[in-house]
Amino acid sequence: MTFRTRLLLIFAVAVAAAVGMVELVVSSRAREAFESNEAHRVNAIVKQFDKEFQRRGEEIVSTVEGVAASATARDIAISPNASDYVEQAGALASTNRLDLLELVAGDGAIVSSAQWPARFGYKEEWLTGEPDWQSRGAFLRREELPDGAALALVAVRTLAYEDRKLFIAGGRTLDREFIASLVLPEGMRVLLYRNLDPAFSPGELIDASGPIPSGALLRPLIEQVKKQRREVLGTLGKGAAAETFHALPLNGDRNNLLGVLLIGSSRRDLVELEATMLRTAVLVAVTGILMAIVLSWWATARITRPVQRLAESAGRVAAGNWGATVEVAGNDEIGQLARAFNRMTHELVEQRERLVQAERVAAWRELARRLAHELKNPLFPLQITVENMQRARATRPEQFDEVFREGTSTLLAELSNLKQIIGRFSDFARMPAPDMQTVNLNELVGETMRLVEAQLSKAGIRASAQLDARLRPVEADPEQLTRVLRNLVLNAVDAMPEGGTLTVRTVNLPMGARLEVSDTGLGLTPEECQRLFTPYYTTKTHGTGLGLAIVQSVVSDHKGRISVESEKGKGTTFRIDLG
Amino acid sequence: MWSRWFVEARCIAAALVLAAAAGAATRPHYGGTLRVETRQAPPSPEVLGTPKGFALSIWETGRRAVFTADDNAAGGRPFLETVEIQMARSLRDQSVDLELGKADVVELGPNELRRLGPGRTVWSSSPVRLMALVFGPRVGDAHVREALALAVDRTAIHSVLLQRQGEISGALLPQWLTGYAFLFSSSADVPRARALVAGLPAAARSLTLAAEDPSARAIADRISVNARDAGLMVSVVPPAGNADVRLVEARIPFADTPHALASVAAALGLNEPPRAASPEEWYAAERSLLEGFRAIPLFQLPDVYGAAPRVRGGPGITPLGEWRFDSLWVEGP
Repeated sequence: MTFRTRLLLIFAVAVAAAVGMVELVVSSRAREAFESNEAHRVNAIVKQFDKEFQRRGEEIVSTVEGVAASATARDIAISPNASDYVEQAGALASTNRLDLLELVAGDGAIVSSAQWPARFGYKEEWLTGEPDWQSRGAFLRREELPDGAALALVAVRTLAYEDRKLFIAGGRTLDREFIASLVLPEGMRVLLYRNLDPAFSPGELIDASGPIPSGALLRPLIEQVKKQRREVLGTLGKGAAAETFHALPLNGDRNNLLGVLLIGSSRRDLVELEATMLRTAVLVAVTGILMAIVLSWWATARITRPVQRLAESAGRVAAGNWGATVEVAGNDEIGQLARAFNRMTHELVEQRERLVQAERVAAWRELARRLAHELKNPLFPLQITVENMQRARATRPEQFDEVFREGTSTLLAELSNLKQIIGRFSDFARMPAPDMQTVNLNELVGETMRLVEAQLSKAGIRASAQLDARLRPVEADPEQLTRVLRNLVLNAVDAMPEGGTLTVRTVNLPMGARLEVSDTGLGLTPEECQRLFTPYYTTKTHGTGLGLAIVQSVVSDHKGRISVESEKGKGTTFRIDLG
Repeated sequence: MWSRWFVEARCIAAALVLAAAAGAATRPHYGGTLRVETRQAPPSPEVLGTPKGFALSIWETGRRAVFTADDNAAGGRPFLETVEIQMARSLRDQSVDLELGKADVVELGPNELRRLGPGRTVWSSSPVRLMALVFGPRVGDAHVREALALAVDRTAIHSVLLQRQGEISGALLPQWLTGYAFLFSSSADVPRARALVAGLPAAARSLTLAAEDPSARAIADRISVNARDAGLMVSVVPPAGNADVRLVEARIPFADTPHALASVAAALGLNEPPRAASPEEWYAAERSLLEGFRAIPLFQLPDVYGAAPRVRGGPGITPLGEWRFDSLWVEGP
């Protein structure tokens, strides 16, 4: 990944993260504000509900007291025959606009029931259990009706005549009309669940218009209130259709849970606000990212161009142009880096010159040492021979001729040796430029192997040629290449004094050809491998140390590459790749 | 002083006139129309019946019938000139008409009897109407039928809804007719009723109950409440042919037991009772009809009529509830 791309990414991520953070914080604040507002509204509705509940309760108490004070109630209380009044409750309830009214005798037997006329005579034990109804206000109660149960706000008053007592229990059902009386802000609604059966009954969940069709969805919330007996908060639905419900328990006269008041608040406003904020954030983020792209282009133009120039210069240095420099612009970090780079290349050039000079001196020294060593060997017999000849001339003149003959023969032989040595040095010094031709490497290997066949056989070496039939012809100087191969083969022969296997292999490469020469000889150490191609370096007791230097020189002239792999005791492989 | 004497003289004269008028009102006289109202709307005059001493003069099916005094009647000409009968009038309407002076003789239900104003005369027959529950063929389980029979609290219904009219009965025929009606149990036993249906599925314990007479709806509602105590779910439905149980009334038209039993059995859709000649056999026959609880007798009810103050010479009905208008006369216009 380029620095420019990285910089672009960093800018984009930074902008997106910043916008995201802002959006998150703003959304969070908005949600908090919305929820706070919602809590206020819910509290207002709960207060309104309580107030309405209380108002209705007081109204019912007042009405029931009115019924208790009526002449009819007095007649019933006085009458010894309650059965004459079985229909009175209905009439009284109708007159006083009560949904429920029961006139109950002192023993708890219903004299007359408006809501369930057929229940006369049945006992209402709950009425007789309370010692003082007069001071009690209205309360929630589950009332049995012919077609089921109902939730009602009920008040009870008593009427006493001598030893007789009459309970007047009247009330109004808590139904949709009650809910409809509540004034609700927009986006809110109130539901009432009448907890009249142990099991959840969707039909008992009503709003101002009656039973709601999706009542079953609120079941978990209602069950939770039934279980915990405290206010529970829950959200139903998703997205704009989501609705938060505050579910409050409504307890009856015996602290029994008779209903659940559900105050629903639509989250549509919040969701729409959040969506608007999200859209704005996305817009800002996109704009920011676009600006980041522009900025990054501008910044990279300012930052990466000098860096790129530095990289190019470093590449030139790597390619061998050690004198490459960079234009210094500015005094910032990049400018300092460019200055340091220029200093470094300058130092490199100077050091290379010093090194070349040192190497040249060392080479001359090595050459002198080699020359001295090489020339010293033939010179010593020359000196001995001449001295022998002088001594024979002085002490044994009769044998001089014979000594002379032998001496001159030796001198000629040693001179020839000297000539040969000088010739080799001369050859290395005068390495000719390759005469490039199209060469079939397989054929060249075959011919070379035939030339050294006798030599290999004599050294007890088994030769193996593994030639790749797919090998394409290469551009090379056949003579120099033959010399290279021969040199490597002879080196291999020298490495296998006890005999072994010589393998010459050709391999077709996608961009050229490979020539490998492997032996099973003594092998080389890593240090030896490193110095192997140095001129005049040899691991053998004879030789000039120029053979592999010449090989490397030829390969280099062919734009090729030579490498060596060796393991001590297992053998060595020379690998030449030609383009 | 003169003025005071004048006022006293006027008061004395008025008292004398009133006394003379009262003396004239107690005496029977001919003429006048007796306005009678009834719930029934029989399809023919024969079903309605012709009051003794009268002959049908106008017949409007389902609405009105007018009978005119027969000058050649066996017991002599009735005092009344005509008897006009308005049919298909609800008990409530009849009661209102009586109060408003629009009717002279009306039928009275328990509620109307309770609300009856002062000065009205009440005529009551012997218990001649059997009120009973009759099961349809769908209710095949005798346990359910017996449970309902045991669940009904007849006493409460009799004392409150029927205002103690008639008598509680577990028999098809009234006590006054057979003398053995008290042998048929009529008491409620809710625990036993509950035990009878305890193992039954809800569907088998659900029944529909129709009261043929709208005025009996309150009794049906009460029976529904009683049934609930026993674990039966009885829903009161409007009168229809497909209700599981019907609350019906059957008139006892004969004063002899065998004929009355056969008539009641036929009215309730029970089998024809076996021929019987002695009270023991009548009892056995009635017992056999009630086995299986296809019919549950509840009450033996009388016919009750209310008469306006201007109607004199009553009672206008026989102990069997038949009209006896030939001995009545009316005061005033």
